Amino acid sequence: MKDNLIAVVRSLIFVGLALILCALVFQFAGYNALTMLWAVADGAFLRSGAIEQSLRWALPLFITAVGVGISFRAGFFNIGAQGQFYVGAICAAFAAEAFKGGPAFLVIPALLISGMLGGALWALWPGLLRLRSGTDEVITTLMGNFMAGLLLVYVTSGPLKDPSGSGQQASSRPLDAAYRISDSLGLSPTIIAIAVAVGVLMWLLVNRTAFGVLASLAGRNGTMVEWQGARLWKLGLSSFLISGALAGLAGTIEFMGPNGRIASGFLPAHGFTAILIALVANLSVVGTAAAAVFFGGLASAALYLPIMAGLPAAAIDIINAAIALFITARSKLVDKVLRLGGRPS
Amino acid sequence: MNEIIIAILRSGTPLIYVTLAGVIAQRAGVWNLGLEGLMIIGACATIVGIMLTNSILAAILIAVFICVLASVLLWFVIDRLKANPIIAGLGLTGLGVGGTALAVQSIFGSQASVTAPFGLPKLGPAFGAYGVLSISVAAMPFVVFGMWVLLRRTRFGLRLAACGEHPFAARSVGANPSRMRLVALSIGGVLCAIGGAELAAGSLQFFAQGMTAGRGFMAFAAVIFGASHPVGATFAALFFAVVGALGIRAQLMFGDKIPHDLLQALPYLATVFGVWLSGKLRGGAKAASSFAELKDQ
Amino acid sequence: MSNPPKPALECRDVTVKFGDVTALSDVAVSFAPGQIHAVVGQNGAGKTTFARVAAGLVQPTAGAVDVMGEEIRTGHVNQSRAAGVELVHQSFALPPSFTVAETMEFGATGKGGVYSRRGLSEKWRSHLASLDVQVDLNTRIRDLPIETQQGIEIARALVMDARVLILDEPTAVLSPTGIDMLFARVRRLKERGVTVILILHKIREVLGIADTVTVLRGGRKVEGPLPIAEVSAERLANLIVGDAIAKTLDRHERDALVGTKSPVGEGAGHPETAHGPSVLSMKSVSTRPDSEGTALDGVDLDIRPGEIVGIAGVEGNGQKTLVRAISALADLASGSIRLAGHDVTGEPLGARRAIGLRIIPFERNVEGLSLTSSLWQNWSARELLQGSLLRVIRPATVREACDRSLREWSVHYHNSAQKAGSLSGGNAQKVILAREVDRGARLIIAAQPTRGLDIGATAFVWQALRQARDRGVAILLISSDLDELFDISDRVVVMLSGRVNGEFRAPFDIASVGAAMTDAAARKSA
Repeated sequence: MKDNLIAVVRSLIFVGLALILCALVFQFAGYNALTMLWAVADGAFLRSGAIEQSLRWALPLFITAVGVGISFRAGFFNIGAQGQFYVGAICAAFAAEAFKGGPAFLVIPALLISGMLGGALWALWPGLLRLRSGTDEVITTLMGNFMAGLLLVYVTSGPLKDPSGSGQQASSRPLDAAYRISDSLGLSPTIIAIAVAVGVLMWLLVNRTAFGVLASLAGRNGTMVEWQGARLWKLGLSSFLISGALAGLAGTIEFMGPNGRIASGFLPAHGFTAILIALVANLSVVGTAAAAVFFGGLASAALYLPIMAGLPAAAIDIINAAIALFITARSKLVDKVLRLGGRPS
Repeated sequence: MNEIIIAILRSGTPLIYVTLAGVIAQRAGVWNLGLEGLMIIGACATIVGIMLTNSILAAILIAVFICVLASVLLWFVIDRLKANPIIAGLGLTGLGVGGTALAVQSIFGSQASVTAPFGLPKLGPAFGAYGVLSISVAAMPFVVFGMWVLLRRTRFGLRLAACGEHPFAARSVGANPSRMRLVALSIGGVLCAIGGAELAAGSLQFFAQGMTAGRGFMAFAAVIFGASHPVGATFAALFFAVVGALGIRAQLMFGDKIPHDLLQALPYLATVFGVWLSGKLRGGAKAASSFAELKDQ
Repeated sequence: MSNPPKPALECRDVTVKFGDVTALSDVAVSFAPGQIHAVVGQNGAGKTTFARVAAGLVQPTAGAVDVMGEEIRTGHVNQSRAAGVELVHQSFALPPSFTVAETMEFGATGKGGVYSRRGLSEKWRSHLASLDVQVDLNTRIRDLPIETQQGIEIARALVMDARVLILDEPTAVLSPTGIDMLFARVRRLKERGVTVILILHKIREVLGIADTVTVLRGGRKVEGPLPIAEVSAERLANLIVGDAIAKTLDRHERDALVGTKSPVGEGAGHPETAHGPSVLSMKSVSTRPDSEGTALDGVDLDIRPGEIVGIAGVEGNGQKTLVRAISALADLASGSIRLAGHDVTGEPLGARRAIGLRIIPFERNVEGLSLTSSLWQNWSARELLQGSLLRVIRPATVREACDRSLREWSVHYHNSAQKAGSLSGGNAQKVILAREVDRGARLIIAAQPTRGLDIGATAFVWQALRQARDRGVAILLISSDLDELFDISDRVVVMLSGRVNGEFRAPFDIASVGAAMTDAAARKSA
């Protein structure tokens, strides 16, 4: 417990450090840093209706981040959540075309499952390359993100193109209202239920199964687990697939819920934010839920900033990036301070 | 034929400069995923610098200064605060992409691209068809050679490699791995600034948000593909540029028969192939690093 | 001129603390020039820390270091090197991908400039020749046998004009013949006027080479430097072990622990307990070459229940591959392996463990434990793998079982959630014993089970292995310490270049075992 507490405090300290760096960047770029940070806080949590908006963003982020946490735990730098998110949404969109006209109680689960399969598929090949040939997954998953982005452009301006679409952004034909799982505000009982189910199942998997313990051991020291007789590729590939499936599920939720369609380049920062959430939460499932609310707030503030405060949305990207820069840091000084405050006598 | 070669050199040169930055960092033991961010900072700073100072030299000096500063920040976070280099590098990349967007908007008040009145000096008519290329394309082979000498034929290069491969060995002959990494990342900062300058002001004369589009990551892949050898990595980067140029070529030839979005994915696919191949050749090299250290003190 | 010569190296009240741990405590010692000085002590006595302070790799918390009467700035390698102090590390600090010539150049100081490959070879050829290191200068370090690597490391240390050369446990990796060659080399250095400080832990080696001896124990200097003529093996042994522990050890064991005399060990001598069909039976096993070490070449090996078979050999002659082959972690090219009556040739490690294979691996901190994971996770890994991955577990229950087991093995720890990395080497090894030496064990592979452990922990491990043997478990012991092998093995098999190069029964004769070990090692370096 004490260790967890220290980890939380350390995360907070480095998030604070990141915010200071952001303030400097904002000031340097010609904005008033305090106004900016205040506007962010206002947009995320303070103004009326902000909490609902933050939760709308937090739920899909939570689902993806839990998945990211699973693969990180098992020792794989799967940074391809963005691509898996896209491919999940694309597969669900194709499935929606195929199942058009079917009864909603069958089609909705079928779409969700297609999305998960799509996400898992996009995690499968880097997983296989890593576990079969030792190809580093950092680069393959990263390249997978770019390829999935182009694939999304292709399907939204090709096979799934909405002919009536007029905007600069190509998008798919809208999903039948009968299959939508939320309105455009994106906070519905269905989505909440899915997120809760994912949270509970993944908590059990991580904390209450042999798989959870062994995957965590393997993530910290794969060699040791191999000498215990484990088949590493089995542990590794399943974690890869789970994380891909969850990112795909999040993409599907965005498609079937608030967006109701897929558009080229939609939510480009989703995967990166999910990675941050997992890291800020120190990979714990419960912590991921809390961190998801925080970053969900930032995501909702990104929409609020340009409209309400006349500030660029890039500010949020910068805050996220600065947090990434510092979140894995461990300063001896900080540790020392934390130890002194929290040492049992 | 000339056209293709010019196209390859144009797209390849920025990639090669940034790849060399990745090579020197890699040899010193740093997985530099911040290349993408450094490159876009270099590109943005060059264009903004031209607009503000009206001098290409001043613009490049500004770009170099900011890129070195950003590299030092990365070094501080990785080396002093012991942050995970991969996550921190991605953070720097995000900072670069977001920061340049913010800077352009705050300085010029628009989110769209910024066009500069002039770019890097061109080689000029003396070089015939190749005269349209910038001087940094012509300088590139010399820089590659210089990096090869520095990394493969000097004691500094040996000590740098030792810092990456066996830091204790480096320490026990009196080298300071931490300082060596600072030097390596700073040199990388200079190279990224030049690479970014060539990208934005070489054949083009403008900066657009997110204009690096993953080139920094591709450069990183070239480092791995090229076994962090300066010449090998240069050829790997050139290979990616060739694949990209062929994709554009194919697009011109086949028109709509092949969707061009998918052709655009060719360099990324080539990158995956390259990394896979290099792993294969070196007998399934161990991947970057494990998360073990990341979660604990 | 009549004054005694200034000491070559003098430490004045040096104290080193790493966090809460005191590695050296007020060590004051001075070494006369031109002699061979031995520094001895058990593992954890502070020998390596002492050497690193002198070499500038460790900044002492307090105290000063003088070289030739001049105080040097501590904690700076370049300062120590400029003063002429060089250190040869125990596990050599050479970048494996470097060529020999590059290794020399990278260690050199002074003017560097741009070199060519040929120029580099020319530059260092005569240096290596003058030190009797015969090697192709374009060979990569990782391709060299261990004795040659040591020669390279010594040559690297002598690229500058070294006046004080410190060798940290140079004999640990060598065969008896290799040790003789090393000592000959050290004597030649002495003739050249170099002051040599040898860190050793075998008394017979100290008596065989040194002019003086200094004993460290628990981070303190116990005695020294004493002229070698004034100390007996008996006294040295007691100084190293300390009176308190010496009383708890029988004399025979103590002698094996400190290497007092030439090991003619009578062996454990329990051949009569070994009966019944072989637990392990390897028939002409060869492995595919891989990057992990020398491949096996037609190895036959049988171990019966209640028998400890020791594997002797210079490091890198296939011992590691042998363990990996039995553990299904190396690909077999031919041959068969039977375990407790089952043919397991194509079976994965999980299946072999289910039959009763247990492994105490070479690398305690890499292969044996996940240092950043909790004790209970480390302890439970083997059992958790014996069923479905998705079965539900209660961490509280597992932790209780872990606590019981760790207490039984007298592991000193706070609670089972603490990280394995927070334990001392001896306690960490006990956690591995608690996991691997269970009732279901039929064959235990103990690979270097006492490396780096202090005397108490070493004796504990030996005891545990003997007890398991007495219960009828078959034990394969791999060790580079001949005293250890001779003391507890019933049989010793020598490995050379991936082959079995001789088998010996007690009483063991060091000369013939040593000859079997080095046969080709001499050829290789020539």
